[in-house]
Amino acid sequence: MKKAVFQGILIVTLFFGTWYLLAQIKWVTIFNIQKKTENTEQKLGEIFWDVFKKTGKENTNKNVKNTIDSIVNHICETNGINIAKIKIHVLEKDDINAFALPNGHLIVFTGLISQSANQEELAGVICHELAHIELNHVMKKLIQEIGFTVVGSITSGSEGATIIKEATKLLSSSAYDRKLEKEADIKAVDLMVEANINPKPFADFLYKMSDKETIKQFTWISTHPDSKERGNYILSYCKTKSKQYRQVVTAEGWFKMQQELKKSE
Amino acid sequence: MIQSNNFRYSPGEHEAETASSSYLMSLIAIIVGAPLPILNLLATIIFYLSNRKSTYFVRWHCTQALLSQLSMLIINSFGFWWTVSIVFTAETISNEYIAYMISAIAFNIVEFIATLYTAVQTRKGKHIEWWFYGGLTNILCKESR
Repeated sequence: MKKAVFQGILIVTLFFGTWYLLAQIKWVTIFNIQKKTENTEQKLGEIFWDVFKKTGKENTNKNVKNTIDSIVNHICETNGINIAKIKIHVLEKDDINAFALPNGHLIVFTGLISQSANQEELAGVICHELAHIELNHVMKKLIQEIGFTVVGSITSGSEGATIIKEATKLLSSSAYDRKLEKEADIKAVDLMVEANINPKPFADFLYKMSDKETIKQFTWISTHPDSKERGNYILSYCKTKSKQYRQVVTAEGWFKMQQELKKSE
Repeated sequence: MIQSNNFRYSPGEHEAETASSSYLMSLIAIIVGAPLPILNLLATIIFYLSNRKSTYFVRWHCTQALLSQLSMLIINSFGFWWTVSIVFTAETISNEYIAYMISAIAFNIVEFIATLYTAVQTRKGKHIEWWFYGGLTNILCKESR
């Protein structure tokens, strides 16, 4: 009996030992898996952005572009995020929404910009979406929702327009799972603090919006988990951080941009 | 790893054929290309159950074949569900996953060769005891039954 137990333990050790030793080899690099994943993500980003371009007009207002660019550039620079990776698109839509697409495409609707009471609120939402990009949530969500095979066939061009449209809808109007949303919220606060942007207005934004969750236009809110709960944990996480905060764009610049947006509406 | 020992008695032609078939059962699923790891075990279990009242030599080899399949089932099931989670969920291909699959394939190849060798030798009436599984079979399979 003892002999059999000893031999059994040895076999188990042999298996796990082999696994452990083989795991020390960088197979992902050897098989170029990272590069292949990046190529897939790049193709998906282009496909989805092409679909979105057709659904709404891209805002070309210089003031809007400069303001959003300033906020995103500042967040990226202070957090060591490669700015070249982020592609910002402002679409003229009344919905209060922002979302990330594969390959760093960040879509912001003008509705969100004009409804943000201050730049910190908008920066909070942008940081939340940047967090989804940084934490690779976009690809995770796509694979989780539509599967690896469908994602692969979209990039190879064998999937029809309907599937692509459905997948696009999924990315723009449905939330990530609760765990990923919380991860993105916490990361968003970290990004804001690092960029010296006060994260409290982001929590306020969620509280404010939680009263309006039934309103159809608040897409970003209605598709995300309970806003009040999110506001609570964001606020309690903010308390652990104390820093001197500043504004990225001047108050005049922010006001002027909002005025121009309202005029164009 | 594999030892050819003398059995307590010399098995007859029919016994050797049935005992050899118990190993072949576990190979059938591989030969037909069934991707589910459970099928190998199912084939071996069915064969084991249908021969549980057979002679000691047959029962002994059916038990060894079944035990070896059980451990392969654990290894293969883990690899199978890991692959499924990569294909259908957010799980990604990692160094650990590739290392696991290589280890699992290596163990499967060793087990396949050992099974094939044992099937051939048992057919000749030789008693083949595997390392660990042979000892375990000796504990579980008693002649007095």
